Formats: sequence, C-alpha cells, structure tokens
Amino acid sequence: MAPFKALELEYPIIDSNFQTFCASHGILSVEDFLIHDLYELAAFAKQQPTSEKLEQGITQILSIIDEQHQPWVNGMELLDDTLHRKHVVPTGCEGVDLLLGGGLHEGQLTELVGPSSSGKTQVCLLAASYLASKHMGTVVYLDTGNSFSTQRIAEFVGRFSNHMFSQAGHRNFQKVMNNILCHSVFDIFTMFNVLHQLEFNMKSQLQKGGQVRLLIVDSISSLITPILGNIGSQGRALMTSAGYLLKKLAHEHNIVVLVTNHTVGGERGIPKPALGQIWKTVAHVRLLLSADHGNDTRSISVLKHPSMASGKVARFRV
Amino acid sequence: MAAKRWIDGDETAAEMLSRVSSERPFLLLPPLHRVPLRVGNVVELAGPSSSAKTQILIQAAVNCILPREWNGVHYGGLERLVMFIDLDCRFDILRLSEMLKHKIMEPNGSMHDHEELFAACMRRFMYVRCYDSLEFLATLKTLHHRLKREKAMHNVNIQLLMIDSIGPFHWVDRGSTFFPLGSHNRKCLSLQSISETVVQEIRKLLVLHPMLVIATKEIVLGNVYGTDGAKQNKYMLEASGIRSITSSSQQLPYREFMPPIWQSLITHKILVRASDDHLLIRPDQENSLYLSEWLLPSLGYQDKFVVKDEHGMRSPPCLIIPPMPT
Repeated sequence: MAPFKALELEYPIIDSNFQTFCASHGILSVEDFLIHDLYELAAFAKQQPTSEKLEQGITQILSIIDEQHQPWVNGMELLDDTLHRKHVVPTGCEGVDLLLGGGLHEGQLTELVGPSSSGKTQVCLLAASYLASKHMGTVVYLDTGNSFSTQRIAEFVGRFSNHMFSQAGHRNFQKVMNNILCHSVFDIFTMFNVLHQLEFNMKSQLQKGGQVRLLIVDSISSLITPILGNIGSQGRALMTSAGYLLKKLAHEHNIVVLVTNHTVGGERGIPKPALGQIWKTVAHVRLLLSADHGNDTRSISVLKHPSMASGKVARFRV
Repeated sequence: MAAKRWIDGDETAAEMLSRVSSERPFLLLPPLHRVPLRVGNVVELAGPSSSAKTQILIQAAVNCILPREWNGVHYGGLERLVMFIDLDCRFDILRLSEMLKHKIMEPNGSMHDHEELFAACMRRFMYVRCYDSLEFLATLKTLHHRLKREKAMHNVNIQLLMIDSIGPFHWVDRGSTFFPLGSHNRKCLSLQSISETVVQEIRKLLVLHPMLVIATKEIVLGNVYGTDGAKQNKYMLEASGIRSITSSSQQLPYREFMPPIWQSLITHKILVRASDDHLLIRPDQENSLYLSEWLLPSLGYQDKFVVKDEHGMRSPPCLIIPPMPT
C-alpha cells in the first residue's frame, strides 16, 4: 500500500503538514494507518492548530482504505452472481460429470487426490481437451512434473471433434491446441509469478485469444511438500497464501480451478491426502481417485462437496 | 430537590427489565440454545473441518433476516441486518437461499407471491470476502461508516456479525514479522499488532453498534500434547491421588492457537464436531450426528443434533435437535 508521499499527487489534502503529523505518530503509509487507533489520532489532531485540515486528511485516508477491501454485496447480488455468472463446466467424462451433478463449478477450487498412477493427470488432460475443443475458452495448465502430453491431448481432441483429417479439421485442430497454454513450474515461487501475471492480465483484459475458463495445477503437492518443514518455517504461510490466491482467481474471474494432490500413509495404513490438516479445509470440492488393479477402470469418490454428501462413488474409464 | 430526584431513580427494575428485553432481546439460536445470547456477546464456535459450523451460522442468519410478521403470517424472525465476513472464501449462497425459501414455504406451502419477501430478506444479508489480513483490517475499520450508511438508507439495524473462520491468516502473519522501517516509533505488521488491532476494532464496534458476534474457528481435535503424553499425564495424576480443587486452566480438547488477546475478547465458547454414529430418524434416511458442547460457560454435557437433508441433492438442510443431554 502506498506511502503518503505517493498519495500527495492524487489527493492534495495529504500535504506535507499532514505527513509530518502522521510521521510523529509513526505512520508513514496506508498500511500503518490500518494498525493504528484512528479515534486516538483524531483526538491528537484536534489539539493541533490545523485540526480541520488534518481531520479531512484522515477522512480521505479512510475512504482510500474503503477501496482496499472487496466490496460489500448483499444476498440478492451474490445469488445473482452465482446463478448467472458461475457456470458448470463438464469434464468430458460422463461418469465424473454424473457424479458431480454436471461437472466442475466455476468459482470453486476442486482438488483431485489419489495415489500415483490413479489417473489424476489423465482427468486433467481430459478436462482441458474437452474445454478447448468445445471452444469454451482457454486453459492454463501449470505442469510441475513434465506430465503434460501433447499426444494425449491430440487423442482426446480427436475423440471430441469429428473430421480431423480434412483441411477445415486441421485448422480447427490448430485453434483448439492454441487454446491450451502450458507452463512448466518447478517451485512455488514460479507458480506465484505465473498466477500473479495471469491475474494482472485478466484484470487489465490483455488476454490473448479467449477468456480463461480453466486453470489446472498438476500437481500442487509437489510444489508445496518441499517447503513444508517444521512449525517455524514459512511453508505453511506459503501454502495458505497459495490457497487464497487460487480461490481469489476462481471467484473474481469466474474460472474453474483444478489441482491435484497425492496421498501419504495415514493411521492404520489407510492412505490419506497429503499436505496435512491446514490444506484439508482449503478446497471446495475434494475427490478421491483410485485405480482398480488389473483393468482400465478408475473409481472416483467424493470426499467433500458443498452440496452433496460425501461417499458417493462413480466408475469411469479414460 | 435535585438531590431527591437523584435518589428517586429514573425507572423501576420492572420497567428496566421490560425495556432491555425488548431492545436487546435474548437470542436462542438452535443448537446454541442452551445458553441465552445477547448483543454484546462474542461467541466462538470451534470445531474440526466439516462439523456443521457454517450450517449453524446460516441457520442463525436466516432466523435474523426473516421478519417477525409479513402479510399476517408469523415467521418469528428479527428483521435485522446480518453482516458476514468470509475469511475462508468458501461460502455457498445457494445454501442460504434454499434454507430461506424452505422457511418461507413452511407456513405457506409455496413460494408464489413471496418473491418480494424473499428479496427483502436477502437484501438484509451483507457479505464480504477478505483474502488477507490487511483486507480484513480495512473491512473492520470502515464497517462503522458502512453501518451508519445502511441505517440511514434502509433504517435497519445490525444484529449479527459473523466471521467465518477466524485465524486463517495466522500462518501468513506469523511468517511476516517485519522489522519496522524508517522511524523508531513505527509499528510493524506482526501477528501481535494485527491481532490487537482486530480485537480493538471489534470492541469499538460493539460499543457503537450493539450486536452479537459469532466467529467460527477451525481446530484439530485431540492434539494437545500428543495422545500418549496426555494419557500419561492423566494416569500419573490419578495415581498420585491428587485432585486439583480448582481446574483454573480448563483442559481443552484441542490446542489453542489464537493469541491471548483474542481469547480475552471471547465471552462464550462452544465446540462442535461430527460424531461417528448415525442417527436413524426415519427408516429410509440416515443423517450424520453432530455433537456440541459448551466450553464457556462450561456445562459439562454434550448435545446431539442432526443436519436434516430433505430429499436428494439440492435440498435445504436444516438443524433439528433431539435434546438428549448425555
């Protein structure tokens, strides 16, 4: 948040007199204003000879602070936003869509949990190809383990759209592939960079091509696990910040966010999702994938969902 | 003469009681109905994840935004404003609207003609999200002016302030203890200064706008000192035959992570969790059972309650309480 010197240009009421008054109380920027007692400051201001101007300055700062937080909405506006702007995006796999009541919700963070080779990446690639081939928007795919496979995407796209081999089909295929943007990220700071850049682009609407509809991070646990040390480390702080950033992107820009997580051994040998208790509460929807040994089918069950009971299972084949 | 008037007093006790009970009524919100709550109280609703905390908040909110009477039908609500600060960013407005529709439909049978009532009620529910603690502080600082504006525009007072999941920025703030830059008397944005400011702002708001504050808190049960350590302590205490007369530090079943200044703001504490049993209310329906226990004031027994799902997926869940003190 801005130091007062920078605000002087925009708001002439915050002149040098005001700044010296505030500096005498240890307030040099808008952030400091947030952790100070405003009534006390106003009382001090009254004792000054230029009290009126100082009080006006304080009121001006308060209105700047009012813009720092998200706007208050009432129930009707929120309901309207949820019903009309947050759509349900199908994943392209009928079994999964049936289980989820239509597909993935925009504005929600969905987490896919499963042991290795249980099909998490396949589901992500499937969802990405479905969205891209139906021209619903662009997909941003953050790949942490080099598991993004263009051949598999081409296979899925071929399944969803017909006439691949004609001239028009080829151009269509090019357009579809251009809708999927893949970034390789190998540590959490790069992920923050990419996400902040994406947020900035979306806010200033510099998006090349269509609107971003789907954001996939495969897998977020491989980014967070190396930094989760003991209690004193910054790992937990970074993990919660990542969760908030993803939820913010989902809600403010109406996109589906899909992340994958692996499992670790829990009590009595039953595997549980990784990343611990703090991460447990971050996602809106949690789905558990498991593979049936010996054949191609996978089963997916609901661990947590805001509008249905947990425990429902579906089987599918990718 | 003035002295005699001073001794005579302004009103009798009966008059005062009737005035206070109409201006500041007791709120009995199930399943928190064992202890009557009044404005000015700060309730902390603690529980592990998915233990119906947000459901309790939604039920309380619906109860508050409904009017007492509309077109001759009695709803028994409070017709006041509810402000919801979502620090968890997972609130689903559809659940609130479903529950409200259900409550409106109950005495009427259908929603026809009641769109106006629904809209009026929904407008009394205000919602904001905060993505970090600076936004939270900014919201609290400007809440007073917001409330004054609402009062001037719609002439409606606030009754309930709900904070969903206090303490999630705890980890982020802990990691950001800056050293103060610049002048020597500048406060730094540490966990302590942020918590102090939050508590101060809430206290000031309670003075200016009397309201009930309910904050939920996400906890990890049973993890006080590790299960083995706790058992060992208990065993040793019993073996040595020492019974402490005053249990001044109440043995909480979870580890408290909020700073002491927050704990001094709290006037009531309740713990909810999901139990492993399922209660069969009707033969075809199995509902999960939740347990609630008042910790402050400590009542010593547990209540059971269920969240009822009417039929199918998009149904309005509502709380019913079979009061069975165990």
